Amino acid sequence: MTAYINNIAYEFQSGETILDFVRRIENNKNAIPTMCQDDRLENFGSCRVCSVEVAREKDGATRTMASCHTPVGEGFYIYHNTEKMQRLRKNIVELVLTDYPSDKVFPAENKKATPFQETIAQIGIPNIRYPEGETHLDIEEDRAHPYIKSDLSQCINCFRCVRACEEIQGEMILGMSGRGFATNIIKGFDTTFDESACVSCGACVQTCPTEALTDKYETKTLIADKTVRTTCTYCGVGCQLDVSVIDGDIKGIQAPETAEVNEGHTCLKGRFAFEFYDHPDRLREPMIKKNGKFEVVTWDEAYDFITEKLIQIKDKYGPDAIGGISSSRATNEENYLMQKMIRVAVGTNNIDGCARVCHAPTAYGMQQSFGTGAATNSVEDLQQADAIFLFGANPIKGHPVTGAKIKQAFMKGVTSIVVDPIKTKLAELATYHLQIRPGTNVAILNMLAHYIVMDDLVDKDFIESHTEKYQEFKNHVEYLNMDELETLTGVSKELVRKAARAYATADRAMEFHGLGVTEHFQGSKTVMLLSNLAMMTGNIGRNGVGLNPLRGQNNVQGAADMGVQPHQGAGYLDINKPEIQQYYADKYGVEKMPEREGYKIPQMLDAAIDGKIKALYIMGEDTIMTDPNTNHSIKAFEQLELIVVQELFMTATTEMADVVLPASSYFEKNGTFTNGERRVQRVNKVIEPIGNTKPDGQIIIDMMDRLGYKQPTGLTYDAAKVIEEIADVIPFMKGLSWERLGENGLQWPIKEDGTDTKMLHVDGQFKKGIGTFHHFDFQETPEIISHGKKYPFILTTGRELEHYNSGTMTRRTDNQKILAKDILEVHPKDAIKKGIEDNEVVRIFSDRGSVNIPIKYSKNVKRGILRTTFHQPEVFINIITGSVGDKETLTPEYKVVAVDFERI
Amino acid sequence: MANKNIRTLSYRKELEDNLFENIAEASQKNNSKEELQAISKRFMIDDSVVVGTSSFYDFTREENKNKKIHVCSGTACMVANTQNNLHQNLEEHFSSDQIGHAACVGRCHSNSAFMFDDKTYNADTVEAIDTIINTKEYQENRYTVLANTTPILTSKIDNVVDFYKLAETKKSNPQDCIQQLKTSNLRGRGGAGFPFWFKLDAVIKEESEQKYIVCNADEGDPGAYSDMYLMEHQPHKVLFGMYMAGLIVGANTGVLYIRGEYPDSIKIVNDAITELKEKDVIGNFMFKIIRGQGSYVCGEETALLNSIEGLRPEVRVRPPYPAQYGLYGKPTVLSNVETFANVHWILQNGGAAYAALGTQQSTGTKLVSLDSFFNTPGMYEIEMGTPLQTIFDDFGGGFKSEVKGLQIGGPLGGIVPMHKIAELTLDFESLGNNGFLLGHASFVSIPVDFPMVKFLEHLLEFTADESCGKCYPCRIGSHRGMEMLQKAQNENYKIDRQLFDDLLETLEIGSLCALGGGVPLPLKNALQYYQEELKEYFTNN
Repeated sequence: MTAYINNIAYEFQSGETILDFVRRIENNKNAIPTMCQDDRLENFGSCRVCSVEVAREKDGATRTMASCHTPVGEGFYIYHNTEKMQRLRKNIVELVLTDYPSDKVFPAENKKATPFQETIAQIGIPNIRYPEGETHLDIEEDRAHPYIKSDLSQCINCFRCVRACEEIQGEMILGMSGRGFATNIIKGFDTTFDESACVSCGACVQTCPTEALTDKYETKTLIADKTVRTTCTYCGVGCQLDVSVIDGDIKGIQAPETAEVNEGHTCLKGRFAFEFYDHPDRLREPMIKKNGKFEVVTWDEAYDFITEKLIQIKDKYGPDAIGGISSSRATNEENYLMQKMIRVAVGTNNIDGCARVCHAPTAYGMQQSFGTGAATNSVEDLQQADAIFLFGANPIKGHPVTGAKIKQAFMKGVTSIVVDPIKTKLAELATYHLQIRPGTNVAILNMLAHYIVMDDLVDKDFIESHTEKYQEFKNHVEYLNMDELETLTGVSKELVRKAARAYATADRAMEFHGLGVTEHFQGSKTVMLLSNLAMMTGNIGRNGVGLNPLRGQNNVQGAADMGVQPHQGAGYLDINKPEIQQYYADKYGVEKMPEREGYKIPQMLDAAIDGKIKALYIMGEDTIMTDPNTNHSIKAFEQLELIVVQELFMTATTEMADVVLPASSYFEKNGTFTNGERRVQRVNKVIEPIGNTKPDGQIIIDMMDRLGYKQPTGLTYDAAKVIEEIADVIPFMKGLSWERLGENGLQWPIKEDGTDTKMLHVDGQFKKGIGTFHHFDFQETPEIISHGKKYPFILTTGRELEHYNSGTMTRRTDNQKILAKDILEVHPKDAIKKGIEDNEVVRIFSDRGSVNIPIKYSKNVKRGILRTTFHQPEVFINIITGSVGDKETLTPEYKVVAVDFERI
Repeated sequence: MANKNIRTLSYRKELEDNLFENIAEASQKNNSKEELQAISKRFMIDDSVVVGTSSFYDFTREENKNKKIHVCSGTACMVANTQNNLHQNLEEHFSSDQIGHAACVGRCHSNSAFMFDDKTYNADTVEAIDTIINTKEYQENRYTVLANTTPILTSKIDNVVDFYKLAETKKSNPQDCIQQLKTSNLRGRGGAGFPFWFKLDAVIKEESEQKYIVCNADEGDPGAYSDMYLMEHQPHKVLFGMYMAGLIVGANTGVLYIRGEYPDSIKIVNDAITELKEKDVIGNFMFKIIRGQGSYVCGEETALLNSIEGLRPEVRVRPPYPAQYGLYGKPTVLSNVETFANVHWILQNGGAAYAALGTQQSTGTKLVSLDSFFNTPGMYEIEMGTPLQTIFDDFGGGFKSEVKGLQIGGPLGGIVPMHKIAELTLDFESLGNNGFLLGHASFVSIPVDFPMVKFLEHLLEFTADESCGKCYPCRIGSHRGMEMLQKAQNENYKIDRQLFDDLLETLEIGSLCALGGGVPLPLKNALQYYQEELKEYFTNN
C-alpha cells in the first residue's frame, strides 16, 4: 500500500489516517498542526487546521481533506504544507482569534505556552481583519469547584473536554448547548462543576488546549524546576503520575499519556489529592509518650527506647511475644525489609499486613485453585472480553481508572454481569444485576455453576486436560435445591440462569472481583468457586478472560509478594518447611529462621488480650480505625507493653502508641509498588523528606541495625540495591532490577533475562500443574445466626470515590470539601417505617456498640440492607462491625454486620 | 466516531422509547427541567446530553417555549416580501414574543405562510388570519401538479395492495433489484446525486443483525416542497421504496425523518403506514416516523442520524459512511424521499426504461418546485435534460413581475442570472458545469427590486443560524460573514474583498459538511454576476 507525501512514495498502514501517516513518516508530532486532536480520543474533525491537499495523481488537481479523520488511500498524493493550506490554517486561526481574549494569544510571563498558543505560533499569528463583532468574551468564570475551574471566554470549542469526559472517564458531565455561533460548553444541566455530577477526574483539564479549563494548581502552564514520573500511592490500579516541583514544593500533577497503565488518565485522588504531603498535621519529629503525653525526641532517643524495650520483651517472653504489622501503602522494598526485620532481627513469623483485612482470601483461594494468588490477566484484556463478570466490586469508586474502562465497556453494550447487594452505577448499566443478600456469595455461585452444568455449557476439553476433582464438584452442584438458594440469595432463578448462560457462552468472559468477595465468612471459598467457574468454562489462560482481583491498595499485591504474611516468606514460600527455612537463612545470611508459623492480625489482637503478645511494631497502618470491632482492638492494645507506629499523621492507632516515628510519604522516597496486575512500577523520589521524617525503609534498616542485623545493602536505604536482594530471594522475580523497570514497569513472573508476563496459566498450564475444583455448601455467617434476630438489618460497608480508606491522606486535601461525611444509605421504606426522615442523624447499633450517622434515602439498597463507608473518624463505623472472619484467612467480615438503627 | 457511549445507551431503548422523541416531548412541558432530568436518569446519560439536544432545535429550545405561532422565514416568502405584513397582522392576536419563526413551511407557491396549531397556512389578509386563528380550520396546501413526460412520481396509484405486490415478486432476488437500480442510474435526489444502487450494495454486504432504512424527509431547503408533495400525495411510493430497500438489504425497520414544519406530511404518511398495517401488506417490516424539531442541518445525513438517536445533530466524520456505521452505528441505507419514490417504477418497468428518460448521466425525471413569482407556481415532474426555459414558459407560464435571477437548488444552490437561463438544462451536469447546482431543484426568484446584498446577508444569516456549531469555518465564518454584510449595509463600512474571498475559500474547502462548504457557491455567483450592484459594499482590492 503506497501513498505519496510531497511526491515521495511511502508505505502506509491499513486504516492509518493522513495525520498519523505524515507524523510517522516525518517522525514529527507537529508535522501538521492540530487543535481539536487528542490521540486518545475518537477522530472528530472540528478545527480543520489539519487540512491537507490530496490529489489522485502526481501534481494533479487536489481536494482539501482534514487529515485527522481521513484514512490514507492507495495512490494518494498528499501535500500537507502547501501555500494554500498555510493560508487556510491562518485564516481559520484568524476566525478563532476574533472570539478569543487578545491578552491570551501569547503565554503569560513565567508560564508555559498552552498547546493552543503553541499551535497558533506554529501556524503564524494573523492580524485580525474582521470588524468587531459578537463574542463570548464575557462568559462568567466558574470557580466554585475545589479543583476544577472554567473560564469559557478562552474556550475555542474544540470539544476535547466534552469528548474526554465521555470517552475517557465515561461520564457526560460536559456537553455542548445551543447551535451555530452560540454553541458553548455546559456542565450538567447548564450548572457549575461543583453543582454538577462531575467526578473531578480532571481529564477535561488535561486535554483542554487553552486555559478555558484549568485546575487550581494551573498545572498545564507551570514551568517546573523538574517533573518526576512516579506511581500513585492510592489504589491498586497503579497510575503513573508526572509530578511537577518548584523550589522543592509539589505544584501539580499530570497523567502521562505514555503510561501503559493509565494512558494519560487518572482520578481526583491521583491528580489532585496531594496536598496532604506538607499539611501542618504531618508528623515531623519522633515522639515518645511520657506520662500519657507525647514528647518530641531525637531519632536516637526513639531508636534506643524501642530497642531496649523490644530486647527486654524478647528476653522475658521470647520473640513470639512481638508482632509486626506492615503496610500495603509502603513500597515493596520497605515491606520486604519489614518482614525481614521481624523474622530475622526479632526472630518471629508474627508478621502480617493490611492484606489481611482485604484480599488475603483471594491470594489463598487462587493459590488453592491455580497455584498463584494474583490476577491472571492484565487490565488491557478488557478490550478483548466478550463478557465481563464483576463480583462484589465497585471499581468506579474504588479503582477509578479501571472502573472507567469497565464502565466504557458496559455502556458500549458488552455482555455484563454484576453480583452486588448494592445497585451501583455499574450494576445499573449491566446486562444482568444479581442483587444478592450480603453474605450469600457461595449460594449464588453454586446456582451459577448449577445452571452451567445443567445446561451443559461446560468446556469439557479444558476440564479434562487441565483440571482435577471436577466430578466431585459437579455431583455437588447438580443436586442443589435451586428454590432454596433463590430464597436465600433473593435473586430469581431465571435471572441467575440467564447470567450463567451469558458467562458460559461468551467466547471470552473476564472476571473481576473486589472486597465484596473476600470480606466474608466464606471469603476464601467464594474465591475458589469463582475459580471453578473460570475453569469449568475454559475462561482462563487466554486473553480477555481470567480471574482478576481488583487489589485495593497501591501495593497490596507487593506486600504479600514480599512475604508480609505469617505463613509465607518473600515469594510465597512456605515457612513451615525446614528446607524453606534453610533457604531464607542462607539468603539472609543468618543461622536459622523462626520455625513456628506466625499470627495473623486478628490472632495478634486476641493474643494480646490473652497476654501472649506484648509488643506491636506497626508500619503505616491505622489498625484501630480500620480493623473491625474497635472496642476489641482497643482492649488488645491496652494490654501491650510496647506499641511502635511509623506514620505520616496522628491516627487513632498512634494515639495509643508508645513511640511514634514520623515517616516520609511516597513523594519523598524511592521504591516500587506492584499493582493489581502484578506490575512492579517505580516510585521515584520527587522531593526531600519533609521535616525530620525518614522513609519507612530507612527506619527499618536503622532498627535492624540496633537489633543486631546489618542489612547487606548498606545502612542507607537504597531501593535499587534492595531490589537486587529481592530479585535474588524471590524465585519469580529473578530478572527484576531498577534499571529494567523503566517507565512502565514489569509484570511478574520476571524471567532472568528480564522478560515479564502479562498473563498467567497460559493455555491451562497452571502454576500448580493442574487446576483444582473445590466444592462447598453455603453456610450462614455466625454473625447472622447469633445476632440476626436481635439486629434484623444487614449493614455492608464500602468506599466512596473521593476518599481513600480511613481518609488519613484524602481528608487532608480538598477532597474533604467535595465529600465531608460518611452517610448511611437506607431504603426509604425502612426509614419511613421507623419514622426517620431523609438526612436525619440516627443511631446505628450492633452487638458491639453504636455510632451516630446521618442517613440518606436510597433505592440502591434493598429493604433490610444498609450501606455506609468508613472514611471519617467522626463516625468510626468499625465500632459496630464484628469479629467474624473468613475461616481460612481470618479476613474480617466487614460486608455483613447485623445491626439495627433508631431515631435519636 | 464520537459519542459511542451515548449512542449505544440510546440504542438500548431504540426507536420504541426513542430518546429524541422523549426530549422533544419533555421540552414542551412546563416542568421541562424535571422531565428532562428524569429522561437522563432513565437513559443513564447525564443532563448535559439532554440539554445539549433540547437547546439545539427551534421547537425544543427553552427560549422558544412560549411561541404560539411560527411565521415562515423561508427565502421564497422573504423575496415575496409578504412576511412583515403577515407579522403585523398576527400581532393583533399574539404578543410579539409569542410569534416565532419556521424556516420554510413549504408554501412557497403562495407565501404569507405560517404554522399554527400544528398546521400550515397562507393568509395575506386580516380577515383570513382572523378566521384561521379563531376556527383553526384546516387549509389545504393547493398548487398545480403536472408532468412533461411519463409520470413516474406524479402518477396515481389505483390500488395500494396491488401496488405492493411488486415487492413479493422481487424480494427473492435482491441482486437483480440492485442490478435494475444500477442500470437505471438513479442518483440521489437530495442534491448530492450519489448512485442509489451503490448504497444498497454496500449495506447488503455488511454483516449485522440489525440494519436500517432511513428516509431523509427533512426537506429543509427553503423554496423546495417536492418531498412534501410526495409525502402528502404519493406516500406509498416513498414507503414502498423504503420497504423494498429493506427487503433487498435485509433490514426490517424503516425510519422517516420528517421535518416538524410539515405537520401534514407527518399525518398523511402516518395514515399510510396505518393503512399498510391494516391491509397487512408489509409483513413484519416496521415503519417509524421521527418528527424533526426545526433544524436545517438535520438534512445532512450524519446529523440526521445523530438527531434520531437523540444526540446533538452535529455532523459526523466520514468514513465510516452510514452504509457501515449508520443509525445507532448499524449499517443503514439513507436516502432522500424522492429517490425512494422512484424505486417502484424502476423495478416495475426495468432499469433500462428509466435510463431511457433524461440524459445519459442524469436519468429519469426530477420534481421541480416553482415559487410564487411564476404565473403558475407548482410542482412539476420534468424529464432530466429539459431546458430551464421550457420549464419556465410551458409550466411556470412566465413571471408575474420582473426577476433578475433565481436561486436554484436551495440556500446552497447557485444564483443564476436571467441571461444564463437559456443556456441551462435541468440536470446535474448542465448546472454543475456552469458553476451552479441542481440541488433539490427548487426555484426561488429574486425580483429586480430585491437588493442582492440583502439576499446574500440572508444566505449567511441562514447558514450561521443553522450551523451545527461543530467545525470552525462554518461556526465562526458564517457568523462573521453575516456581520460584515450587515455592517456594510448599516454603517459606513466596506468589506475587505480580500478578506471576503479568504472567508469564502475557508468555508468552501475547510468546512466539515456541505452547509459551510456550500454557501460560498451562491455568494461567488452573486459576486460574479451582480458585481455592479454589490461593488459599493466592498473595497476595491
